[in-house]
Amino acid sequence: MKFACQKNILLKEIMLALDFTSQKNTLSIVSNVLLETSSNKLIIKATDQKIGFMTELDVETIEPGTTTVFCEKFLGILRTLPDENTIFEEIGDKFFIYPDKKSINFELRTIPSDKYPKLEEAPKESFFSIAQQDIFDMIDQTIFAISDDETRYFMNGVFLEHSPQGLTMVATDGRRLSLINRQLEESISAFEPVIIPAKFLSLLKKAGSGEGTIFLAITDSIIFARLNHQLMYSNLIKGQFPNYRRVIPANQTNICKVSITEMNEALKRVSLLVENKAKRIYLDIEAGGVTISSEESDFGQAKEIIPCDYLGDSCRLAMNYSYLSSPLRVMDGEFFLICFTESNRAVTVKPDPEKDYFHIIMPMQVD
Amino acid sequence: METVFFHVDMDAFFASVEQMDHPEHRGKPLIVGGLGNRGVVSACSYEARAFGVHSAMPMFQARKLCPQAIYVQGRMHRYHEVSKTILSILATFSPAVQQISIDEAFLDMTGTERLFGKPRVAAQLLKQKVREETSLVISVGIGPSRFIAKMASDYGKPDGLCRVAPGKELAFVDVVGLKKLWGLGESSLSALARHHITNVAQLREYGKEYLQRTFGVAAGEYFYQVCRGIDPGIYSGDSKSHSISTECTFPVDIADQDILHQYLLRMSHEVMFRSIEEKVMGKTVGIKIRYADFTTTSAQETPDKPIYSAEEIYQTACRLLDQRLTTGRSIRLIGVGLYQTRIGEAPLQEELFEDNFKRKRELEKAVLSLRAKGRNLEKASILQQRGPSAEIDGSTHS
Repeated sequence: MKFACQKNILLKEIMLALDFTSQKNTLSIVSNVLLETSSNKLIIKATDQKIGFMTELDVETIEPGTTTVFCEKFLGILRTLPDENTIFEEIGDKFFIYPDKKSINFELRTIPSDKYPKLEEAPKESFFSIAQQDIFDMIDQTIFAISDDETRYFMNGVFLEHSPQGLTMVATDGRRLSLINRQLEESISAFEPVIIPAKFLSLLKKAGSGEGTIFLAITDSIIFARLNHQLMYSNLIKGQFPNYRRVIPANQTNICKVSITEMNEALKRVSLLVENKAKRIYLDIEAGGVTISSEESDFGQAKEIIPCDYLGDSCRLAMNYSYLSSPLRVMDGEFFLICFTESNRAVTVKPDPEKDYFHIIMPMQVD
Repeated sequence: METVFFHVDMDAFFASVEQMDHPEHRGKPLIVGGLGNRGVVSACSYEARAFGVHSAMPMFQARKLCPQAIYVQGRMHRYHEVSKTILSILATFSPAVQQISIDEAFLDMTGTERLFGKPRVAAQLLKQKVREETSLVISVGIGPSRFIAKMASDYGKPDGLCRVAPGKELAFVDVVGLKKLWGLGESSLSALARHHITNVAQLREYGKEYLQRTFGVAAGEYFYQVCRGIDPGIYSGDSKSHSISTECTFPVDIADQDILHQYLLRMSHEVMFRSIEEKVMGKTVGIKIRYADFTTTSAQETPDKPIYSAEEIYQTACRLLDQRLTTGRSIRLIGVGLYQTRIGEAPLQEELFEDNFKRKRELEKAVLSLRAKGRNLEKASILQQRGPSAEIDGSTHS
C-alpha cells in the first residue's frame, strides 16, 4: 500500500484513534491502528474490542492496500514531522513514513490487517440527531459523579434514559448524584435506558467541537455515535442502575442562596487544609452567612464566611468538599441554592433560577 | 525540619536467636524451618547462606546443599519474646516506633539530634545497645523517608549501617537498581520489561501521565515516585487507628478451602459482633495466613462502601484467602480483622441508596442482644462446620 497526504490531516485523526486502541500491551494487534487506502480515500480503524473508531479522509492513493501499525508510535512520529505532503508506504512488513521534500525516514513494523478484529457494524436506520451543545452540556453536568470503583461497575458509567420531551442523564457513585433532563426540539423515538461508559462520553467530547449535530444509535449492547466523517461506538455497561428516583428529596424546606463564585473561591481556600482522605468540610448555615471550615488537622485549620440569603434555623452540614465543588465548577449563572431538611439527610444543590439539572449530595457525619 | 527515618532489620533473625540461646551453635551453619518432608526454610544463619541456602527454599533442597547444618524447628513464641525486647530498646530512641513484622521496624528519628547526636552516631549507639543487651546483630538504614531507609538497611547486610543523605535519593535508587526497588515484584518487573524499561533511569524518562495510562493509575503513580526516590507511602498508615481482630490456630494444618471458609465465617461473625458491642464501624477487612512452614502473610481490602455486616467481612475475607491459596500448601493459622475503625454506629460518609447489609446489621444486633439474655443462637451454616475444633483467640488493639 502507498498513499500521500498533508501530514496534519492525518495527525488529527490518529490522535483520536489512539484513545480507542489498547494501551495495556504494546505487542498486541489491538494496540495498532488499521489503515486502508483505495480510490483516493483512507479508512482508519481502531478498537480495543470494547470501543471502536472509524473515519475516512481524502488522500492520494498511489497503491491500494491495507495494514496495521502501532498507534502510539505512529502518532509520536506524526507529531514531530513537518506539516507537508508526506508519503506512507508499506514494503514487506515495514511501514515507511517520509515527507516529500526532506530526508527524514521512519519505518514501523506492521502486523497484517487480516488479524485485526472486526469492528461492530452500525445499524443503518436507528440514528437520531441531537445538537452537540445539548449532549455535551448533559455530559458536563453528570460525568464527574460516576464511581470509579470496579466492584460497583454499574455506576462506572452515565445512565441515559428517554423522557417524554427529550433525554435524561444521571450519574452517581452512591453518595452523590447528578441529574439533567434536557428538553429537545426534535422528538426521539423511545429506547430502553442504558448505562454508557464514562470513557466513551469523554472521547465523544474530544472529537466534537460543540457546534453542529451528532447522530446517536443505541442497540441492546452498543451505543454508536456519528460525527462528521467519524463513527465511534462503545459497549454498554450491563447491569442494573440504582433506582435514582427514590433518592431525589422532595419538600426540602430549608433553602440557602449563595453566590457560585464566592462559594467556589472559599472552597478552593478552605480545602487546602482539609484532611485528604475523607475530604470533610463543615458548612454552618445561618441567617448572617455560611461559614465554611475544615477540621482541625496536624497542619492547622481554615475558615471562611460568605454572605447568603437564608431564613431558617442555624444548621451544620458536613460533606466531602469535592461533592460540592465539582458541580459548582460546571454550574452557570450567578447564584445557587443549597436545599436541605436536616444535617443527616440528602442535600440538593441547584442553580438559581432553576435550570434543567440538579445535584444531590449525601452529607457526612457531623461529629 | 529535616525528616530522619531509621529502618531496623534484625539480621537472620530466627537463626540468630537460636545461636544466642545455644552458644554451641554459634559460628556454624544453622537452619530454622519445617523439618518434615514438605518443610520450608524460614530462616538460616549467614554461615548456612554461604552454602547457597536461603529462606523459602524447600527443606530437602537445603539438606542437599548443606547436610552438616544444625536443623531447628521454629520456636515462634521465643522469637516473639526476643522481638519484643528489641522493640523496647528501639522505643528508648524514638517515641514513634512502627513495627512492620517480627524482625523489622521503622523509627521516626526526626528532631532527635540533640538527644542522640547525628543520625549515623545515633544508629551506632542503637546497634551497640541491641548487641549489648541481646547479643544480636541488626542492620540500620537511615534516610529522609521510610522508603529510602528501608532499602538502605539492605545495603551492607549483615551488621549494616547505611545512610542516604537528603538530596542523594536519586543517586541511591539508581545504585539500588530496578530489581531491588521496594515494592516492585516479579510481575511489575516483567510488565516494565515489556515496555523495554530495565533500569531506574529509563523508568524516570517517562512522565506520570504515560505511566498511569500504560500501567494503571495506582501502579503508574507508584512507578513515577519510586524511580525518583520519593516515598510512595506504603507504611505511612495511621498508626492511631483501632482494630478488632481474631485469629485461630488449627490443631492440624488445613488445606481444604471449604473448611477454611467455614472458619472464616465463624470468625467474621465474631469480629462483627465485637464491633457492634464496642459500637464502632471498620473500613478495612484484613486476613492473616500462616502456612505450615510458618511463613506468614497478610492482606487487606478497603471496600468502596461501609461494612455493615458479618457477611461482608466474610465475603471479602474469602476472596482475600482464595487469592493466596495454593493447592497442597496447608495453613496452620488464619486471622480475620476489621481495621480503620471509627467510633459510632454510622459510617463517616452515608450512602444515598438503601444498603441491604444495613438491615443485616440490625439482624446481627438482635442476635447479639438475645445472646446477652442467655439464648444460644448460632448461624446455621456455622453449625455445619466440619473439621476439628480449634482455639480461637481474639484481640483488640489500640
